[in-house]
Amino acid sequence: MLLEWCLELNGDFSSTVSLVIQIIWIILFLLLITGLNQKIQLKLWILDIRMKLNTIQSILEEDKNKVRNILRNLGVDVPEAVLSRVLEFFTIEPVEIEPTDIIKRMDHLLRTTETSVRRIIEASIPNLGRYERSLIESSMSIIAALNIVYKVIRHYLITGERENNFILIMQLVYSMPQLMKIVQTYHEALESFTQGRPIGDGAGPLVVYNILEKSHVKSRRVVDDTSVIEAYYKDRRIILIKAEGPGSNVGHPGAVLSKVIEELKGGVDLVITIDAALKLEGEETGSIAEGVGAAIGDPGPEKIAIERATSKYNIPLRALVIKMDLKEAITTMKKEIYEACERTLLHIEKILEENTSPNSTVIIAGIGNTMGIPG
Amino acid sequence: MNPMEIDVTNIILLVLLILIMIYLVYDSYIKKPRKKTYVVRELLTCTKCKFNVERDFEPGDFIGIIKGKCPSCGGDLKLKAIYAVEKK
Ligand SMILES: [Zn+2]
Repeated sequence: MLLEWCLELNGDFSSTVSLVIQIIWIILFLLLITGLNQKIQLKLWILDIRMKLNTIQSILEEDKNKVRNILRNLGVDVPEAVLSRVLEFFTIEPVEIEPTDIIKRMDHLLRTTETSVRRIIEASIPNLGRYERSLIESSMSIIAALNIVYKVIRHYLITGERENNFILIMQLVYSMPQLMKIVQTYHEALESFTQGRPIGDGAGPLVVYNILEKSHVKSRRVVDDTSVIEAYYKDRRIILIKAEGPGSNVGHPGAVLSKVIEELKGGVDLVITIDAALKLEGEETGSIAEGVGAAIGDPGPEKIAIERATSKYNIPLRALVIKMDLKEAITTMKKEIYEACERTLLHIEKILEENTSPNSTVIIAGIGNTMGIPG
Repeated sequence: MNPMEIDVTNIILLVLLILIMIYLVYDSYIKKPRKKTYVVRELLTCTKCKFNVERDFEPGDFIGIIKGKCPSCGGDLKLKAIYAVEKK
């Protein structure tokens, strides 16, 4: 078809076409040898990043407004004052080249951060319930994370543009899809946090709650924002540890677990930790894996507390993880994950049967954010 | 080889180039993966019989609260689970 059409063309027209084609090749050649094509590429990339950055900014503003409205409804006259304070709050990492007592220093800094942010919020919103305070605290930390993403991208964009740094802009433009995904994830997470819905990370506490529902409870207490429940389940004395719910709270399961072991003077036959774990791309959401070690994803202090306490008294430390991706972990719990939590109970029963005899003492710790899950 | 044939090859090359560019632009800018939407549901179960019902989630609800009576036996309905399911 095309061939016939071309053959019908007269000579004048075809020579014009070849002239145009020649010119195009010459322009391409000139662009290549002068490096001007890179300049054009750079401008296009900058335009692309700027457009995406504007999207991030509008998401950030939308989310800030959401939290401002919540604060106003709670009787805060100037929500901006408290919001900007919490948004820019930072924690300086402890010195790492001197590792002596680094865990103690890190724990101290983390706990101080926790109480300081809590006090800022409590001071500006009087008569605030624990449940509401926890939701506001978490919502603000999500906005703080979004704010950091926004500021860092803006920083590299401005720097790259000013210095004409091709490599910097290229790295940024290729990282943008992933960053946009993170921003979208945080944006969706905020909705779960403002409404207090259970999130994927709540899998550990949910499993513990399910055991709690099926067992005979002997005593309950709350230590350090963390619930410690003594119960009888499958003829074993079970000590359940989870963050105190149903507010948005991760508690201090490591510190509390080690305290419980010390109180029992090491008289524990088995420790099981249950947590949500990041899956690899391609793995199925809600698949369960078992292993050995402390299944907990904190910066260090809680995890090391579990390892130290169990190794001190030579208590076997087993781990169960429920797999999900980052988005599933911090947004409303998917049904697949809920069903996985039900199945995890069977795994626990199997581990109990294989590793302990009736009347033995077992600690089961559900690690994660307990929002929407009581106990 | 007359000039006409060279022009034909050139035109074919040009057309191919344009097609590739259209495909690349479509692939990286226009084609977007279909986004899944989720609805949040809550599962209520009766504490006495095996009755259970799934409803839309209401903000502020959490697992374990008693929400209404069982229509078949009159027992308490307990919130058993809150989860997101894909919208069909
Ligand atoms: Zn009933």
